[in-house]
Amino acid sequence: MKFARTWLYSIVLAFAANASFAQLPSDLIFKSGMDHPLEGPFTPEEAARFLQQATFGPKLADIELLTRIGYNAWFDQQFAATRSEHLPFIDGLLLGGDTNVFQGARIESWWRNVLGGNDQLRQRMAFSLSQIFVVSDQSGALEGLPTSLAHYYDMLSRNAFGSYRTLLSEATLHPSMGRYLSMHKNRKPDAVLNIQPDQNYAREIMQLFSIGLVRLNTDGTRMLSAGQPIPTYNTDTIRGFAHVFTGWNYSTCVTPTGPNQTWHWDWCGTRAQADPESQDYRLHRGWREPMRPFGEGSVYEAVYHSSVEGPMASPTGAKQLLIYPGVSPANGVLPSGGTARANMNIALDNVANHPNVGPFISRLLIQRFVTSSPSPAYIGRVASIFNNNGAGVRGDLRAVVRAILMDTEARRPTAVNRGKLREPLLRLSQLYRAFDAASRVPDRFNEYTDYWMAQAPLSSPTVFNYYLPNYQLPGEITTLGLFSPEFQITTDTYITRIVNEMGGKVFWQFQGNASLPPVNQWNPTLVNINRDLSFANNAEVLVSRYSLLMMGGTMSTAMSNLLVAHVRDMPNNNDEDRRRRVQDVLWLIMNSPEYVVEK
Amino acid sequence: MSYLKRRELLQRSLMAAAGSTAFGLLPAKLALAQSTLTGGTLLRGSLNYKALVCIYLYGGNDSINMVIPRDTAGYDAYRLRRQGNALPGDASNLAVPLASLLPLNPSQGPVNGGQYGLHPAMTGVKAMFDAGRCAVVANVGTLVRPTTKAMFELPGTLLPPELFSHSDQSVLWQTPASDVSARTGWGGRLADIYRLENPNQVLSMNVSLAGDNVFQSGRLVAPYFMNSQGVEQIDAIQTAQANCMPTGEWNRRRCLTFRALQNLGATATPGHAFERAYVEKTQRSISTAAQVASAIILHPANDVKFRPFWDAFGLTWTANSTNLPALPELARQLLMVARVIASRETLDMRRQLFFAGIGGFDTHDDQNANHPALLRDLSQSVSAFYQVLTTLDAAESVTSFTASDFNRTITNNGDGTDHGWGSHQLVFGARVNGNRIYGRMPSLAPRASNPDEVGYGQIVPTLSTDQYAHTLAKWYGYVQPNVEPIFYNLQYMDNTGGILSIPGPDLGFMQPA
Repeated sequence: MKFARTWLYSIVLAFAANASFAQLPSDLIFKSGMDHPLEGPFTPEEAARFLQQATFGPKLADIELLTRIGYNAWFDQQFAATRSEHLPFIDGLLLGGDTNVFQGARIESWWRNVLGGNDQLRQRMAFSLSQIFVVSDQSGALEGLPTSLAHYYDMLSRNAFGSYRTLLSEATLHPSMGRYLSMHKNRKPDAVLNIQPDQNYAREIMQLFSIGLVRLNTDGTRMLSAGQPIPTYNTDTIRGFAHVFTGWNYSTCVTPTGPNQTWHWDWCGTRAQADPESQDYRLHRGWREPMRPFGEGSVYEAVYHSSVEGPMASPTGAKQLLIYPGVSPANGVLPSGGTARANMNIALDNVANHPNVGPFISRLLIQRFVTSSPSPAYIGRVASIFNNNGAGVRGDLRAVVRAILMDTEARRPTAVNRGKLREPLLRLSQLYRAFDAASRVPDRFNEYTDYWMAQAPLSSPTVFNYYLPNYQLPGEITTLGLFSPEFQITTDTYITRIVNEMGGKVFWQFQGNASLPPVNQWNPTLVNINRDLSFANNAEVLVSRYSLLMMGGTMSTAMSNLLVAHVRDMPNNNDEDRRRRVQDVLWLIMNSPEYVVEK
Repeated sequence: MSYLKRRELLQRSLMAAAGSTAFGLLPAKLALAQSTLTGGTLLRGSLNYKALVCIYLYGGNDSINMVIPRDTAGYDAYRLRRQGNALPGDASNLAVPLASLLPLNPSQGPVNGGQYGLHPAMTGVKAMFDAGRCAVVANVGTLVRPTTKAMFELPGTLLPPELFSHSDQSVLWQTPASDVSARTGWGGRLADIYRLENPNQVLSMNVSLAGDNVFQSGRLVAPYFMNSQGVEQIDAIQTAQANCMPTGEWNRRRCLTFRALQNLGATATPGHAFERAYVEKTQRSISTAAQVASAIILHPANDVKFRPFWDAFGLTWTANSTNLPALPELARQLLMVARVIASRETLDMRRQLFFAGIGGFDTHDDQNANHPALLRDLSQSVSAFYQVLTTLDAAESVTSFTASDFNRTITNNGDGTDHGWGSHQLVFGARVNGNRIYGRMPSLAPRASNPDEVGYGQIVPTLSTDQYAHTLAKWYGYVQPNVEPIFYNLQYMDNTGGILSIPGPDLGFMQPA
């Protein structure tokens, strides 16, 4: 294998002499059984830069491993790695008698997995998906339910390398999503009670989770008709889907046995009949099983599911779904009739097969992994993989994430304004991973990041995530036509707070700091500053090492010179001096413009 | 803390900026230069103080349950749509009980008559309305042209894009026109014009207590974000001081390298647009924070003049307490706005625009459980804010107004409401023609016979957001020019077809400036 890689190096060099990398079609990557000229990384810096994109931040050992085994083997390892979960950890706390198990515990679990789990790519994908298929504890319905949200996040990570269609279905039917976007207990029209089906989920599944507002070409550019964008749906479509999305309730609902038992629908609880009445609500099965059509299979299903009722004037009972070339059902019209589940499946197929999904979802994922402003060509390459992974399968997320990370625009970008503003959560995770962060109470990572960085997992202020994908900061960024989602939370307040909090972590919250209060008073996560004292006496080595660890080796010469000069100005007589050097360099890097913009 | 004279404060903050290596990087918008935008000569410092406060209700406030018909016919129609056959205690009964309404007796009611009352949670607003300090502006919404129900149903009618979509409608509510989702808002455009009016050229005249928003984004001016806890400054380096002279030697060196790295990001060629933007934001954050902190510390939150906020919610207030009970969110934001307004002379500001906002109004579910508390927060916060403004001698200078994505549907979906359109707004201030309901209240008749209802429960607006906003901007001093007017669709909001309840650019709810 090593010999083959050496042989490949010479092929690569030959290629490089005759053609630019940027011209090699990236679908060559996926030809099975053939080693490929773009196999790399060829330097630790390339490896580190890749790992910034593909994980929550590289440890030195991760960089060394990837440099040694190459991308293909790395992907194989990642696809095979045991999946990190959240719910078992939280259930463990509850079953062990801990009653103080709320969203804080869920977030502790997130950090535990991010810092310790080997399945970094899968977790990065789950985190990215959580910013598209948004549910949030910032909702009266979900704020008291760490278990349901943990189960939701586990569902995302379970589907991270799977099928988009399955993901769409599991997200739609998850009780957290049902409560968050009010599909749960949505019911068919009732003139007597003056009820029309709730349109919330119908809107958001299209606007945010699948196709967006306007027709797109495969490369993500907008289709135009007479110079105007073409909407993907109208209010008829929304009403159509709203009618389909009716009749679903918790899995634990009891099917009525007689007429007029509406209280079964209205008051259906989340506790399974078989479970004891004293069961803690956080353990209730209704919160961790897919929703079910109420009274499925019985006459009661039609009491709540809008089977033969629909918003169209004609034919009655039919529902208008999406229309696009080759659409099923014909003309996008769902005929009257059908069970809740059957109609749901047809509707989700109708959404998932829309040609917009490839470019829409691909672009969002590219923004999370690589760059805020991918070129249309980049989007097109990834969307093509979404449309067909090479083996005739549509929506293969494993192939999509690989295409995103191995594209030349990710590996060998040339645009001046490439990359993205690092998400605050990823800046913190990178610090923690690079510096072997640990908690003095094993497995318990107290982090309340929302206050100081406007980001916390599954805690977005609205279903529109922490920032909009099309946000453009006024000024030069807008003038250049760039997108800058993360700038939307980069406000005066948060800039200051992030700088101050990073200061606290670097200067104060380190392992071995004897001045820390006892752990029962305060349990911050502690980084290992003292680890690098052995080479802190050498300014160049120190700065170069942290350029590798924190910036994928992209630190400019000018910045390096400034940092080296700064360190040289500092005393070097003992461990405490050397620790201060490490801290200064780290703090200066993490709050520098060059670091904050990942390139 | 010694009292800082205005001049001294300005000098200190400008020195801080000057001492910073980033002074030369201050963007052009903050430079001391004459603007060509105004087309006239605004003598700096010549105007009296004025401020607008936008109170944004995220999610689409159900104003049908905020201003409620109380005459027999009106209430019956309301009750029929909002309660239907539900029992009083059902979650699907969204009708507010008639006996609980706070009756409004305006000197001028809606043009189509009818008696109205406020939701019982809004005692503060009721008092302001009765005292002539608050007006209701009825059935305002995003419109590209005056629109009827019949027109709505015809293809080819010019309508706002993405009606009933939160993100789009909230943007349109903040922009000067509803035909396209712009990135600049009418408050930002006003700031572009008025920014040079302020002797203080460091602090943005747009201050947001609720983060990013389109309303305050101009072509040249970007808002300064504060939070309800105040202004924070960077520890570890105390960069606000000139020449990086904080107390410790370590801090000074760190400060210098920090600044050098900032300068590198700002000046490297070709550099990176994001790095330049980040530096600009950081630098402005630093110099502004120092300035504002020095000013508002003279008006601490526990000062007796801010006591009305606690009184308005029945919370215990004790003098000199450092541990006052927590206020609801909007109250916290408006308290900070009041502190900044209290500092207007220290900060040497003549024109300011504030943005506050609270969420939770998207009551698809559990409306009865959630909506009343939100209305209470709104009502009591604004009435306390007004009381404080009178103490600050600023009641005539400050006008507050609500805005929201849209109304809710007349119909309900079982325990809540969906996205609507035309909605009722509230304006507050000593220069408001209060105790009036402006415009036309919509019919709440059953859908089959309702001339105002389109879709399934959405009300066609009979006043446009352009008119609403322009009325406020006009009070602020804005005169719409022929060239590059802010409100470019205002020309269409006339009497054509007799559709609008009040035609023209001025709805009349503000007394002459």
